[in-house]
Amino acid sequence: MTTTTTSSSTAKPRIDWTRPVLWLFAAVLVLLILLPLSWLAVFAFTDKSRHPTLQNFVTLFSNPDFLDPLLTTAIIATTSALICCIVAAPISWLVSRTDMPGRQTIRALVTASFVTPPFLGAVAWELLAAPNSGLLNQLYRLFAGDDADALFNIYSMTGIIFVISCYTFPFVFVLVANALDTMPGELEDASAILGGNAWTTARRVTIPLALPALVAGALIAFLQAMTLFGSPAILALPAGFHTMTTKIWSLFQYPPKLELAAAAAVPLLVLTILLLQGQKALLGRRGYSVIGGKYGAPRRVELRGWRWAALGFCLLVLLNPVFLPYLALLNAAFSPNATTLVTPSTATLHNIVFVFTELSSTQLALKNTVILGTATATIGTILALVIAYVTTRKVIAGHRVLGFLATAPVAVPGIVLGVGLFLSYTRPPFVLYGTLWILLLAFLTINLPSAYQQLQAAFATIHPELEEASRILGATRLQALRQITAPLLRTGVIATWCFIFIGVMRELSAAIVLFTSQTKVLSVLIYDLNEGGDLAAIAVLGIAMLVITFAVVLAVNQIPMSGGNAGAKLRNG
Amino acid sequence: MASVELRGLVKRFGSFVAVDDVSLTIDHGQLVCLLGPSGCGKTTTLRLIAGFLEPSDGEIRVGERVVSSRARTLPPEQRNMSMIFQSYALWPHMTVAENIVYGLRLRKMDRDSIAKKLAAILATTKLEPLAQRYPGELSGGQQQRVALARALIVGPETLLLDEPLSNLDANLREEMRFEIRRLHDEYRYTTVYVTHDQSEAMTTADLIAVMNAGKIDQLGSPEDIYARPESEFVARFIGAANVIKGTARDAEHVEFAGATLAVVGAKLAAGQSAPIAIRQHEIQLSTEAPATAQNTLKAIVTRQVYLGMNRDYMVETSDGTSLRVTTPTETAVEKGREVWLTLPPAHCRALSR
Repeated sequence: MTTTTTSSSTAKPRIDWTRPVLWLFAAVLVLLILLPLSWLAVFAFTDKSRHPTLQNFVTLFSNPDFLDPLLTTAIIATTSALICCIVAAPISWLVSRTDMPGRQTIRALVTASFVTPPFLGAVAWELLAAPNSGLLNQLYRLFAGDDADALFNIYSMTGIIFVISCYTFPFVFVLVANALDTMPGELEDASAILGGNAWTTARRVTIPLALPALVAGALIAFLQAMTLFGSPAILALPAGFHTMTTKIWSLFQYPPKLELAAAAAVPLLVLTILLLQGQKALLGRRGYSVIGGKYGAPRRVELRGWRWAALGFCLLVLLNPVFLPYLALLNAAFSPNATTLVTPSTATLHNIVFVFTELSSTQLALKNTVILGTATATIGTILALVIAYVTTRKVIAGHRVLGFLATAPVAVPGIVLGVGLFLSYTRPPFVLYGTLWILLLAFLTINLPSAYQQLQAAFATIHPELEEASRILGATRLQALRQITAPLLRTGVIATWCFIFIGVMRELSAAIVLFTSQTKVLSVLIYDLNEGGDLAAIAVLGIAMLVITFAVVLAVNQIPMSGGNAGAKLRNG
Repeated sequence: MASVELRGLVKRFGSFVAVDDVSLTIDHGQLVCLLGPSGCGKTTTLRLIAGFLEPSDGEIRVGERVVSSRARTLPPEQRNMSMIFQSYALWPHMTVAENIVYGLRLRKMDRDSIAKKLAAILATTKLEPLAQRYPGELSGGQQQRVALARALIVGPETLLLDEPLSNLDANLREEMRFEIRRLHDEYRYTTVYVTHDQSEAMTTADLIAVMNAGKIDQLGSPEDIYARPESEFVARFIGAANVIKGTARDAEHVEFAGATLAVVGAKLAAGQSAPIAIRQHEIQLSTEAPATAQNTLKAIVTRQVYLGMNRDYMVETSDGTSLRVTTPTETAVEKGREVWLTLPPAHCRALSR
């Protein structure tokens, strides 16, 4: 009996700790998201002396300096989205619905192109297809003669669209393959038993059911191509033209035109929100494909003689985002000259030694990246953990607001957030520009949505009765959390931490407007090295980055709860 | 001595009233079933007793102390209760033994006593060979027994069960019903048992509270509830009785379909509309006019099904009311024939609501 202890506690007034927690976390989220966006809006709609004006937008939409990048971005995004669909749709169908050999390998290779930072891919394609020094062009000249024109020129609109598509098509693949994976085979069987032959079934049942996912994938691909900074900066600037993101970045160069940068970020933000809404509506309605009953595994189409041809097609496509670039990077890392094919006699470890011991900026960038990665991952995981707990267990009123705020950054492209943070923290009371803090805020905001979603999914698998059972047996709320919930969440938390860490490592588009010489990170360093033409160093750093990323993705894929799609949770910037 | 007492308990979720002015006194060592269809407020009531929810109004007392009221709700861990959950809520990261001794560890009991108690409860629940397994490696029935052992080992003042058998298959469910009753008789805790299954309630409970729309519709022993339903809801919910609507002639007689029926149960006022409950197997069906005309009426057979042990009839009286009747298999009447029904007065229960 515990009557004595309880009667004494009866006198104590109940402390409602839930309200302060709600306010604290809401305040943190508001600070992370609303503050930068508010400053963005203020600058976009005012002139230098902060008087309201629409002049920035007039300039934006009348001056060819801005109209051309707008048009270029539209062309790049539309074309890339189309190419992504054309390539991803057949591959996802082959992988998910046919008996093609090596399906798991193809999935793994698509994941590999997914987790490759797009700017690294762009550098690798420089190594392959720069007009003079590109390995592929050198190969071509072996046959066509030394004075032949270059076969490929990666510094061109076509080149940019090609490279962007290489690292964007996995978005479409993941969505479509997922839709096809979960589509019950019985739906197709039902069509067959009613007299539909294979092609009729595909045309009337399979394709319509997968179509919403394909269109949603196209929207995401468009979004990705539109907001990407690294690839166009690496490939379009040498070619002498701008996209919206590189234009925004150039407005930060001396003399800075912050009002115009803010105004130029607004269309990106608005379009992103609209496209995400469209994607949500499309996928939301897809629910009809899993109505009623229990379904068996999907039925696989027998390709017979075409099995190996299909595999050949997939491998041929994956040559572009994976095999060729990786080979080019490996070659550059071990060759004395980045664009000379390495042979056993010329192979050298010089580049590796140089990067890690002699290149002074590496030390600083690595240190900054590790500090930022660790801090962001730790704070981000804790933030996401508490918000996920609050929203899944509905412990306080207003939990929906928290969930909404935590997912909102999805709709803010990295460079837009970068601009907003720059504007917010270069003036009193918060002068954070030039410190690691401003990068920490950027990385936290960017990684919060996926961290939150991942932990929310982890919480959802833990039945609330598991906690209640420990409460009724005598555990306090904190004891229940520590003894029951925490051990069950452990793997999910570790996975989330790792994902944030590699997310930080890969982030470029926000970092590029926020870094200073003392706060360079790995991704910025790679971008700088590219400007300096030091491609071998990039290859070394890029391979190191890829190795860490693959290790984490592989490890997380071993955790059953996270499913086989760990790569899909990364956000490219 | 009242062990658990609910006084005017109310729980609102927004504008929805889940528990509506429920009062209930449970004596020490009694097993009370909260029985009702889904959404009737029984689980909410149980969670209020456990302290997972705070009442909007009213109070809950355990012994002499108030554990829940609008002003203050004692957290679940300070109530010295145990609960068995619908999902069993076994912790997947702990072995069977670890699951079971969890509550004792929280009570800071010494190792030897824990080991002794564990051995005893494992024997009672026949779980000895499974002590080192993880819950994921057990069958549904075994998981159920672990949940029971975990709840019982702490020797709670009050044991709460939330649809504990609903995840088991039919055979096991029947076995576990008696098991729960046997353990209750052995340990004699005050027990509140929530279920939607009337036969589960019948076999386990001392007292059944039939709940409907957030209120206790009728409280009584299993026999009271079954044999003497007071409301149309209880009559239909427990054993699916026929409920016919007649008009009262006086306090004990009702006009129905051209016949006059003598009834028992609620006292009627002449002229009032009177619902009468009668179980399908209490009605006698014959092809010839019975000797006495009292409580008999004519009907037409509209359906007849052979069920092996008996026959199941659907008949229609002259006013269009359909009645279900169960007869011995020998009484075989084909569809469309006219039959006489005898409704014995002792089984015609006038309902007050």
